[in-house]
Amino acid sequence: MEFDKKSLLKLGKLARISISDDKLNNLSKDLNSILEFVDQLKEIKTDQVDPISNSLNQKLEVRDDKVDTKNSAEDILENAPEKEMDFFVVPKVIE
Amino acid sequence: MKDSYTLKSLAALLENNKISSKELTSEYLKNIENGKELNCYNTISQEKALVDAEKSDERRKSQNLRSKYDGIPIGIKDLFCTKGVTTTASSKILSNFVPNYESTVTQNCDNAGLISLGKLNCDEFAMGSTNKTSFFGSVKNPWKSVNSDNDLVPGGSSGGSAAAVSGDLCVASLGTDTGGSIRQPASFTGTVGLKPSYGRVSRWGIVAFASSLDQAGPITKTVEDAAILLDIISGHDEKDSTSSVNPKENYYENLNSDIKGMKIGIPKEFRSDKLPASTQKSWDECANLLKTNGAEIVDISLPHTMNALPAYYIIAPAEASSNLARYDGVRYGLRVKGNDLIDMYEKTRSEGFGDEVKRRILIGTYVLSSGYYDAYYIKAQKIRSLIKSDYVEAFKKVDAILTPSTPSTAFEIANEPSDPVQNYLNDIFTVPVNLAGLPGISIPYANDENNLPIGLQLITNSFEEQKLLNVAKNIEETINYSETPEKWWLK
Repeated sequence: MEFDKKSLLKLGKLARISISDDKLNNLSKDLNSILEFVDQLKEIKTDQVDPISNSLNQKLEVRDDKVDTKNSAEDILENAPEKEMDFFVVPKVIE
Repeated sequence: MKDSYTLKSLAALLENNKISSKELTSEYLKNIENGKELNCYNTISQEKALVDAEKSDERRKSQNLRSKYDGIPIGIKDLFCTKGVTTTASSKILSNFVPNYESTVTQNCDNAGLISLGKLNCDEFAMGSTNKTSFFGSVKNPWKSVNSDNDLVPGGSSGGSAAAVSGDLCVASLGTDTGGSIRQPASFTGTVGLKPSYGRVSRWGIVAFASSLDQAGPITKTVEDAAILLDIISGHDEKDSTSSVNPKENYYENLNSDIKGMKIGIPKEFRSDKLPASTQKSWDECANLLKTNGAEIVDISLPHTMNALPAYYIIAPAEASSNLARYDGVRYGLRVKGNDLIDMYEKTRSEGFGDEVKRRILIGTYVLSSGYYDAYYIKAQKIRSLIKSDYVEAFKKVDAILTPSTPSTAFEIANEPSDPVQNYLNDIFTVPVNLAGLPGISIPYANDENNLPIGLQLITNSFEEQKLLNVAKNIEETINYSETPEKWWLK
């Protein structure tokens, strides 16, 4: 068992998802099932293989440093759950 | 009459003034209203669609058309950001999100004069193969088994996109495919689903799931329509740094179903005792048909096929955990109040995401976390490299590869397995194609003993969409699949 209650709560903290007590059992069962499934890759020898992060054989181009969009604060804040003047409002961070 | 509508036929009807865009759009809006039980649409753009249709009719009158397809209404997966139209990714966390910008793909459609009927239901953040993970509930497959009246899954994640085309709630639609999300639902609904090469279509403005795998594509009734819609949506976009600079072709104009001398590969690793006999039969028949039509059938090996799915379930969740970090209740979407900032993040994400999305974020966080990164994430990237090499070798010998699209036909919504891994197996034939960045298409071949569509998948080398469409067209022309679901929802 890789995911017990303690490790699952730690993972939840890392991912910033709170996990309620009644969900813990099912979640640990599901995640262990997924982990067991992906663990079959351990059998494959890959010492001589280079990893790839992307399938595209294309160099990423460097763009000219020019302004092409004018993002106004108004646009950016349009969907904000809470805003004041030109700012996003969040719960107090510093006492 | 309706059943024969295609992008091609509608373009002709509009051109000959047999129908106006407004009439056509109204007709589809009526179909959508009558087909509400299928739950295909998250948002119906009733008013906007009719206004846009009137504008298109004006353009036609003044001979100022944006393209031959100006005025044809289509459906859009609710994963494409559309300016002023709610874009939810079928998630609670984005249920109130109205983008103030337009994705490149939907902008391209608008530039061609296509009209959006609305936003199509899908699995939450495109994570799923049954459309059951949607916050707005399952989509129902227009098809039903002859033996039962129970509702079937349309596949996923582009389940609404596929079901809507199959049930005539639009003539064509846009989907996205990260591990099979266009091809698998196309296969389950008797439609044509094309996933282009990675980089062929811009990802800009599409809600990101796994950025190195995501690709947008068309779901249509015919191969010709797939070519038409690909022509409209594809091409380089400087807003997407991974969009290819390879020039795009005129896929529709250059469609040529002559396959004489082509070599078609049949990969032995896709054979399985678990494959339904009717799917195996269709696969064998199709290979014979291609041979009769002048192609050579070649047995090939893609040795790492069975490693693709576990590698995918490391890479895709890892990228998802990173991409979905942006949903924090600060800048847009749902916010749930908390005692402090961290508590607010945790409660927002816990309430805003559904179970499957949470599972994937947690697995992704785990495989990227210190101590497990090399053992899981790097390992999976090495496997990805091996899978890509398999295909590089294969395409030295063959022009295209033929496989089944899915390991089964559509199954009952009630019978979805509760174990997530069992569900992941739906994508076993489609996932390797995303990992290797190749184009793939699912086309309907026949119906099984329960009268449910069987899809076959063709795969070609990167940026060989033309060849892919040509072989697909050859099969389509030869078999002339014309099955349509009985419209039980109208009764």
